[in-house]
Amino acid sequence: MVSSLVAGLLLILVAVAAVTALLSIRHRLAFRIALRNVRRGRARTALLIAGLLVGTTIISGSLVVGDTVQQLSFHYTYLGAGYVDEAIAGSSSSGGLSYFPYAVYGQTVTAIGADTSIAGVAPEIVDAASAYDRNSGIPETNLNLIGVNANQSTALGPFVADNGSQLSGPVPGGVLLDDQAASALNATTGDSLVVYAQNVVALRVQAIVQDNVRGAFITGGIQPGNLFVSLSTAQRLENATGAINYIAITNSGSQAAGASASPAVAASLNSTLAGVLAPYGLSITTPLETGLNQATQSSQSTLTIFLVLGLFSIVAGAMLILGIFVMLAEERKGEMGMLRAIGMRRRELVYTYYFEGVAYAAGSAAAGTFLGVAVGYLLAYLAGFILTNQGLPANAILESFTVSGESLAIAYVAGFLLTLGTVLVASRRSSRLNIVRAIRDVPEPPPPVRTYTFLAYLGAGLLLLGLFGFLETYRGTTDLSYPILTGSMVILGVGLVAARFLRNRLVFSSVGVALLLWAGWEPLHSYLFGTAHGGGIFIVFVEGILMVGGVLLVFVFNARYVPSVLRRLLGTRVDSSPVVRIGLDYPTRQPTRTVVSLTIFALVIFTMVATAAFGSTLQGNLNYAVANQSGGYSFFGGSQTPLPNLWGEIANNSTLSALFTNAVGLTAGVVNVDVPGYSANPYSDRLYSAPVRPAGPTDFYSTNGFSFASTLDGRSAAATFQELATNRSVAVVDDSYAPATSSVSGGSGGPHPTLSAGTTISVASLRGNAAVSVTVIGILTESIVSGVWLNPLAASALGYTNETAYFLTVAPGVSTTHASQELKRAFFAAGLVLFDLRGLLASSINTTEGFIGLLEIFVGLGLAVGVAAMGILALRAVVERRREIGMLRASGFTQRMVLRAFVLEYSFVTLLGVGIGVVLGLLIVYNLTTSPSASAAGIQTFVAPWPTVGEIAIVAYGLVLVAIAGPSLRAARLPPAEAVRATE
Amino acid sequence: MAETVVAGRDVWKVYGSGDMAVPALQGIDVDIYRGEILAIMGPSGCGKTTFLNCFSGLDDISRGSVTVEGTDIHSMPDTKKSEYRARRTGFVFQSYNLLPILSAEENVEMPLLIGGRSAKEARSEARSILTEMGLGDRLTHRPAELSGGQQQRVSLARALVAHPAIVWADEPTGNLDAEGSRQVATVLRQLNGQFHQTMVVVTHDADVAAACDRTLHMRDGRFLP
Repeated sequence: MVSSLVAGLLLILVAVAAVTALLSIRHRLAFRIALRNVRRGRARTALLIAGLLVGTTIISGSLVVGDTVQQLSFHYTYLGAGYVDEAIAGSSSSGGLSYFPYAVYGQTVTAIGADTSIAGVAPEIVDAASAYDRNSGIPETNLNLIGVNANQSTALGPFVADNGSQLSGPVPGGVLLDDQAASALNATTGDSLVVYAQNVVALRVQAIVQDNVRGAFITGGIQPGNLFVSLSTAQRLENATGAINYIAITNSGSQAAGASASPAVAASLNSTLAGVLAPYGLSITTPLETGLNQATQSSQSTLTIFLVLGLFSIVAGAMLILGIFVMLAEERKGEMGMLRAIGMRRRELVYTYYFEGVAYAAGSAAAGTFLGVAVGYLLAYLAGFILTNQGLPANAILESFTVSGESLAIAYVAGFLLTLGTVLVASRRSSRLNIVRAIRDVPEPPPPVRTYTFLAYLGAGLLLLGLFGFLETYRGTTDLSYPILTGSMVILGVGLVAARFLRNRLVFSSVGVALLLWAGWEPLHSYLFGTAHGGGIFIVFVEGILMVGGVLLVFVFNARYVPSVLRRLLGTRVDSSPVVRIGLDYPTRQPTRTVVSLTIFALVIFTMVATAAFGSTLQGNLNYAVANQSGGYSFFGGSQTPLPNLWGEIANNSTLSALFTNAVGLTAGVVNVDVPGYSANPYSDRLYSAPVRPAGPTDFYSTNGFSFASTLDGRSAAATFQELATNRSVAVVDDSYAPATSSVSGGSGGPHPTLSAGTTISVASLRGNAAVSVTVIGILTESIVSGVWLNPLAASALGYTNETAYFLTVAPGVSTTHASQELKRAFFAAGLVLFDLRGLLASSINTTEGFIGLLEIFVGLGLAVGVAAMGILALRAVVERRREIGMLRASGFTQRMVLRAFVLEYSFVTLLGVGIGVVLGLLIVYNLTTSPSASAAGIQTFVAPWPTVGEIAIVAYGLVLVAIAGPSLRAARLPPAEAVRATE
Repeated sequence: MAETVVAGRDVWKVYGSGDMAVPALQGIDVDIYRGEILAIMGPSGCGKTTFLNCFSGLDDISRGSVTVEGTDIHSMPDTKKSEYRARRTGFVFQSYNLLPILSAEENVEMPLLIGGRSAKEARSEARSILTEMGLGDRLTHRPAELSGGQQQRVSLARALVAHPAIVWADEPTGNLDAEGSRQVATVLRQLNGQFHQTMVVVTHDADVAAACDRTLHMRDGRFLP
């Protein structure tokens, strides 16, 4: 698909080149003038290209980030899946893999026969285990146990020891540790290791193996670590003599070839093995191919986020291009007027600009493409620091830095066409000059009535199109961007029609206010579209553009009143200052010119502030999120052996009793859920159930602090949990079932089922026919534990009675690390694994923040556009206002006064743009924060990032001052006698 | 004897240097008297505008001295020169040089604001002089909404509103038709009679020159005897 896109784009590029060549032959004079214009000022050409390349840089940078994320994801997918193209396995009711007879392996091999597309089949055990290194004295409870025979797994590739030697697999009595496991246990080759699972077995560390495609199986080289033992050892450890729980199938050829053949091989296996697998509830999955697809999706999502946020800068860049060409046209007005006067046709003038535009577009697209690669590298470099807390090696991202030829081609062609398209619009506008007015430098008159009539027809069309689109999209979609966009078309259409009959100021001020309210007033959205709406990243772009556009329309049509109001507010002294007059009157009385730089600045600052506000709100909600998602507990844990009296054992242990205040046991497992209206029933999900105990440290119902996004009949959280404790016909589900978060993918990558409180669902055990029908009485706000919560009697009816999951709370002032170590030590034999909820959430939020930080840097590129726009506008002002500056100097303006007037003018525009961007950026995040979907996601409070806003404002303003310093000084130093001359 | 307001002695202005040097003024000696309207005439390129720029302080001279009301204006620093222009001079140019973003009254009040007057006073005086000049119904019009003659009258009002000692006018009727030129010449004469300001008018227009008290003819950077 991407290749066809590239082919299409290249085709357009070739077409443009061919058309340009033909036109240059037919319009030689225009071509020659264009070439001369490009060549006549190299410094200015360089400046133009610098200004024009931003859009391409954003596109290129986004694509490179997408390439790198894809490469990184592919890297870990290839490592984690290894050469397992298809896997045969089933889920156990406890959540792990179900065991089945070893004979299934033999039947599988027989059924496959001499299929040349399959290179090997390996029987395995994949489970969890704990281990204790007797030499180092270090225990570790969170490890993968992989039982596999060397002679049966040659197709999976060799293990590579840390010393570089190749190993075919673990020997009986020996264990291979991957780097992660060795690090966790501080183990070295030859150590004596005691491995705990269903049984305890002492083994010798045969070797430490690298995290290659074999050693990093499942984990991708990230925690937890792997223990590789022979199949018989694993069977002994798991008390599973004659059984396995995993069959790994390797396709012929490389990993990539195997993955691409996987769907066909899996389909073939499904048909040939159906009779073998069905009795044991086994199914065939394609780990590598699925992983690669998910990696592609993940990179596409990242690319989308960067591109959509980059769209603001791209729009700003297009405005800058428009500004640059209008400046060129102004500079060349007299020249163009003379060319027209001596017989050059208007079309020839357009061609002159076209040829010039092609040259600039070609140069800037090339420069922008390579600058984008540099930007992508910078982001990858910075991402390395941010993502180390997720267990990724610091250099992993840089090593994955990738620039694909496709991305370069797309960036170049897209950037070229974007620049050229904008240049053509600007050229057409610039060439429509009146000869006499151009030569004499007389301003263009207001548009005639026929223009308004044309616009009215255009508006009517827009209105009808918008109305149709709105009626089609305002119901039945949770994505607000469509109805918001179509609704805005209606508003604009009405405005264009009304402008034919009413005063522009009244009409377009009203349109501006209407757009602002339409896009930015969250209560209106909730009222019109209900509470279950979102829109993802694209809604930020749509609402952002509309709100900024609305405010700017109001500004353009009311700007002339701004200075007088400001001056009156600031007092008589300021009102009488000629510097203030000039400084404020220029930007407000030529608002259509000012609006270009104002738009650019407002859009860029809007994106930066919105991104920062999103990060600060996440951080500000950390405590709430931790309390909410963790239910107030410190740890969530699981054990291989049930611990039904965990609290009793803690209370009887003098060390532990001082560390913990409660320990709640939960029944946990995996169930199939049938949700009415869901297309892919049954949906496989986790089951949790808390036994009812007397109120106290062992009772979930009296100790949990979970809250609900919605409950049946609006009852309280306490009442809802009380109902769950006593009524076997009810259930509670996590927030991934809420419609507002329906974009969340299900476990298999497909959509997640959605429901509302009051829906009756069926919950079935994985084996047998046991099922219960329950009514959902509450949907939790975002919680660390996801799945379906049942009444303990209902869970028992399905066969779930073992308590293998736990919530624990540490005593005030106790270190979670210390408490965790002591508890794991005490329950090591049971394989107790603990997760520090606060640490996990903080790490996750820190990663999100880090990602947002990268986005801030990326969107900050747009600031270059804003600053360049100000510099260019100032440069243009010096050229255009030469005589006016001269007259002011003749009237007594000192050099310093001219300088101050310029600084005031650009300060006003910059600070106004910053103000608009800040207010709207904060508003859009505030809206997102207060929307129902945010509440369901555990966001409760909006936190304005004032320090960051201050930094953004100061940096933006400072850069603008630097950019306008040159032109302003040039204006101030204009010799008055030269400046007042009629011609240069 | 009439009081000398502006005195130029051996004033030279040379553009460029070496082989490219172009002497625009070649040792000018001149006295301009208080209250008179002096016309400077001559062919294109003879140095009329250079004379105006150098004697008004807009441009520097290469050699010699120009004293205005006893002060050598070319020995002043730029800030003082600006202050001097704000308080003691007014300018009228062929292309009006009005600020397009400002209305007629705002253009006219600008020199008053630069001179330190309050916004209220400046507005009142600007309206008064524009009304006197027959532009009472065009106060809030921007330059683009005025005819050439009206723009030049606004330009004249701006030059005169702060009651400067000297008004320098460079081809004030150059862009106007005969009727416009006649109107401007009449206004110049009337205002001179009213405010007794010294006016130096560089012009090609014999009718304008005829309305002046004295005419000096220039050629090749020198006044003809």
